Amino acid sequence: MNLLITGAASELAQALASRLSENHHVRLTDIVNIKTEFEFIECELGHDETTNELVRGMDCIIHLAELPSDYSDDSLDSDNLTIDFMTRCTYNLLWAAVEEKVKKAVYGSTLKLFEKYDDDLTVNENWRPLPSTDPYVLGKHLGEFTCKEFARTGKLQITCLRFGQVVRVEDVKDQPYDPTWIEIRDLVHAFECALGEKTPGLNRDWSVFHIEADAPDADYPPARRARGSIGFDPKYRFRE
Amino acid sequence: MNVLILGGTGNLGPFVVNALEPYHTLRVTDVNPPEDTAHEFRYVDMASMTQVVEAAEGMDAIVNCSVLREHRKIAFDVNTLGSYHMMSAAVTHGIKRVINTGPHAILTGPTYDNIDFMLTEEIPPHSGVDLVGGDNPYSISKSLGQEICKVFTENFDVHVMCLLFCGLKNPEHPRFFPGRDVTPFVVSVRDAAEACRLGLAVDLKSLPSKNEVFYITTDIPHGKFSNAKAKRILGFAPNDKFEVVWHKVTDH
Repeated sequence: MNLLITGAASELAQALASRLSENHHVRLTDIVNIKTEFEFIECELGHDETTNELVRGMDCIIHLAELPSDYSDDSLDSDNLTIDFMTRCTYNLLWAAVEEKVKKAVYGSTLKLFEKYDDDLTVNENWRPLPSTDPYVLGKHLGEFTCKEFARTGKLQITCLRFGQVVRVEDVKDQPYDPTWIEIRDLVHAFECALGEKTPGLNRDWSVFHIEADAPDADYPPARRARGSIGFDPKYRFRE
Repeated sequence: MNVLILGGTGNLGPFVVNALEPYHTLRVTDVNPPEDTAHEFRYVDMASMTQVVEAAEGMDAIVNCSVLREHRKIAFDVNTLGSYHMMSAAVTHGIKRVINTGPHAILTGPTYDNIDFMLTEEIPPHSGVDLVGGDNPYSISKSLGQEICKVFTENFDVHVMCLLFCGLKNPEHPRFFPGRDVTPFVVSVRDAAEACRLGLAVDLKSLPSKNEVFYITTDIPHGKFSNAKAKRILGFAPNDKFEVVWHKVTDH
């Protein structure tokens, strides 16, 4: 499979490329230039031909929807950049994908959409997102909104993965436990599972999964839907 | 009431100015100046957070008539980022009342419009991505803007009334013909402007929630969209009915 991964400057994109390149051809992209061992194309995800060229020949797009942390633009402040990137650039990317006959996309979203719920609630994919107006959280919500319209109208099959703070288990072993942690290797595994998701008999062009770390003391397993539907099987625990 | 009008010199803006000026003090803004106006005018680009926030200072309400349809970059700048700026401005200045506007397709895109009837305002937005079947983000960029408005109402003490239009007609310059029928959602510009005035007058406590959507369409019998909610809550009473268009022409 030919895979395009956006947000190449992120550690997650690099980890995805390393793992997925074992079985797929991987192309990376970002709005800034980076050094990488993989094929890389710098692209602003504008509405011109360069975005079409970026996605041409791809079978699937993994859209992490992440701006480089130090990215700036003289014409827009950082809040605007985030909202603009999550909406307009996501639209441009997916529109180009449709034009170039890409069939599938995986969108990286956030569990911060559920932060306003109390911790003792059994929040899962059946609960309505409650975004704050924080530009990152609002932007992720609007990115999902955009993806859903492409999926709803049958233009693309889109899988949305929502996850928390991406960490390496060895980096946080001395830190106070944070229930939003997800180990980067488990998250890469989740994306791999999403790539293999088969569309069932129903016309289901949109699916969403919460990707959470294993928790041995939970009443029922976290990421229950992802385990049952796409075979997500997390290996890393932050508490025994 | 001090009212900020965004997009005040576009297709709808001048009619809104006419409807509001007997009742309110207006600050009219746009990227294009009016030919002649008795009101304060400021150049405001909806893509500029600074300009929108500064324009909202001292205002009691905002009416957003700004829109850009075809150009992909500017459409998102005006329709999506512009809404983010407008709501940020409302929160910054403690403005409790915002009237947003847009096409009905920001709620009822092709997955509703091509299929269903008896559509109400209390349905999830399905804008689709290509209103006119091509590279045109008009409806989704406006729909994202309205979603931003909704999220702000869920996080701050601000009310948004989103007035949805389609087929805006100027009765003095009609572009339709007797007996040819109309789109099943149509309203005159002066009735649409009057709906904005009603939105400024309605008691916020009477609204069912802080984010309310209204179909501002005239009385037509097609059974696809209903203006019942606008009549019930806002007191909307359209004057221009366009009956001659949706009745067959008879020679005798």
